Amino acid sequence: MSGMHHMLVHFPLGFWALATLMILIGALLPGRMAELNRVALLPVLVLSLLAALVAIISGFLVWPLEASTASPLARNHILTALWSLGVFTMLTVLVWRAGRSAFVGASRWALLLLALIGISIFATTGTIGGHLVGATTQFSELLKLFGWDVYHTFFVPTWVIGVMVLIGIACAVLGLKGRRTAS
Amino acid sequence: MARQDKGITPWLVLGLPVALGLAWVTQGTGVIQDDPERNIAIPDELTMPLQVQAAYNDSHIFFRYRWPAERPHILHDVLVYEDGDWVRKGSAVPGSNPDGLHEDRVAMMLDDGSVPDFARYGGYMAIGAGAAGLTDEAPEEVSKSMPGTRIDLTDWASRQAPETLEAQREAGYFLDLWHWRGHRSNPLNLSDDQWIGAERSGDAGRSPYTTNWDGDAGQPLWMLDPEEAGQAALRWEDIEAGRVDFDSPYFLAEDTAIDFDPDHDWQNGDVIPRRLVRQTEGSRGDITVQGEGRWNDGYWDVTLSRRLDTGNPLDDKILRDQGLYAAAFSVHRNATGGRWHSVSLPVSLGLGRDADLTATSFQGSTPEWADDWFDMTLFYPGQVNWPLLVSRAHAGAPDIAEGTPVHARHSERQLAIYGVEMEFNDAIIRQWGLTLLAGLITMLGVAIALLPVFRDTSTNRKGEAS
Repeated sequence: MSGMHHMLVHFPLGFWALATLMILIGALLPGRMAELNRVALLPVLVLSLLAALVAIISGFLVWPLEASTASPLARNHILTALWSLGVFTMLTVLVWRAGRSAFVGASRWALLLLALIGISIFATTGTIGGHLVGATTQFSELLKLFGWDVYHTFFVPTWVIGVMVLIGIACAVLGLKGRRTAS
Repeated sequence: MARQDKGITPWLVLGLPVALGLAWVTQGTGVIQDDPERNIAIPDELTMPLQVQAAYNDSHIFFRYRWPAERPHILHDVLVYEDGDWVRKGSAVPGSNPDGLHEDRVAMMLDDGSVPDFARYGGYMAIGAGAAGLTDEAPEEVSKSMPGTRIDLTDWASRQAPETLEAQREAGYFLDLWHWRGHRSNPLNLSDDQWIGAERSGDAGRSPYTTNWDGDAGQPLWMLDPEEAGQAALRWEDIEAGRVDFDSPYFLAEDTAIDFDPDHDWQNGDVIPRRLVRQTEGSRGDITVQGEGRWNDGYWDVTLSRRLDTGNPLDDKILRDQGLYAAAFSVHRNATGGRWHSVSLPVSLGLGRDADLTATSFQGSTPEWADDWFDMTLFYPGQVNWPLLVSRAHAGAPDIAEGTPVHARHSERQLAIYGVEMEFNDAIIRQWGLTLLAGLITMLGVAIALLPVFRDTSTNRKGEAS
């Protein structure tokens, strides 16, 4: 399954990289090319999610779960892969819901920010995948320069977990409150 | 009001980078901390350098070791007089001894190919289930051992039958262990000579030390000879102040010790070493220090020597010109004992032939060392044992089964980090899982927040970026 996973991960990575580029163009450039990117973005995002699901499932089959969860590198790979999936799921839902309006006003900056976060996380996922197969890159040195050595499991203290959850809840509440006020 | 909310809502997306940024700056904290109750003490430095040279002549081989140490630890455990009682200090504890006691050590495991996995996995394969110092250590002291000496790898008590163990030893299924001790052998220019089979054992003969304690009388057996040493005991305040050095009477030896005199005018703070260093005999005395093992300017410099062929093939690995062997090294420093040492990955040792560490041939009785070292990085191994490495819980177990060497997959720094994380594996897995979940919850919350502003309003216009 290891070889199959290596093959399958190219698809979400390719789609996500393409989607990020399309969002950049759609958000920052005017004209027909930008319009084409806005229109074509949703299918790319949907395909990326389908490909990611397949890739992640195949990834879980490479090693026994107890081995994956016992390895710091594998733990980081799983976390960043699922967070990548999370960010691009957000993008897919938002673009699906808004269509081309996703690029109107301040929304495009939200899209752009999410895309940049997503590409950062999935680049990290790929880098860690390289480490897992013994092919390291300088990108992990960059991450180390900014404070995280990929050989250390990425986990946070309990209070930070609480703050993260509170941020999520607060955002949701504020968003829903704004929706009611607007209506 | 509605317009104001609509203006703010898209920026709730910032909740995600804020949450992830907070995670980034706090990652890795909150779990890893010393816990002596669980035999956990994480060293400040996870890696350290060790330099080695090797040379041989017609009869002997010499290994020269050099490693940094903030200060030398040449005392091991001691007996301190306190209000009529002799109290032991310097016992092994998780991590560094708080009194700065416990001797420095350098050790080398050696194999001639009879233990093929050793050349690939080094000392990892000598750490079995229940080894002393692990959090799940066995109720009795379990030392290093070879995996083939156990019927069930996960059961430290499941030893093979004695005749099987003897046959394994005769077949060479053991590791030779050179074991230099800063207090318990070095004062007499000796090294301990041991081997690892079903356990870590001393070679046949007399060890370089014995214990200075009369359990029945509750007092030491020997004391310093005031006529030889100028004093009957060391002083605790001198030890605390680091004033005990190579010029001090820091050890008891057969020719410098006298029988303990309970009627001596002992004072609180008098200190007698708890070990007596003595001449070795038999196979156990094969290894000696060439010159003097000394600490100078922040470095230990120790040279050990042994006959190539000791004549004790059941205790030692016999070395030959043009032979190729495997070795792994360890260092105890900073007043540590037990598993709180730094270890090397295995290296090849060639006598007059290319290897990681090549012993050069020379004529004469002592080698003339050039400044040409084999540099190694030693690392803190944490709590990783052989049963774990070959189990389903290790992703590299199939690689081990195929014979892929450890250095093909892991660096020393990586192994040190993994070793530490393994000591907190359950807690880290829990915290990692919660972190993963918290990130996803944040994403969900931000997505919900953004839904009101991500509505299709493009019916009457072209969707140009505005």
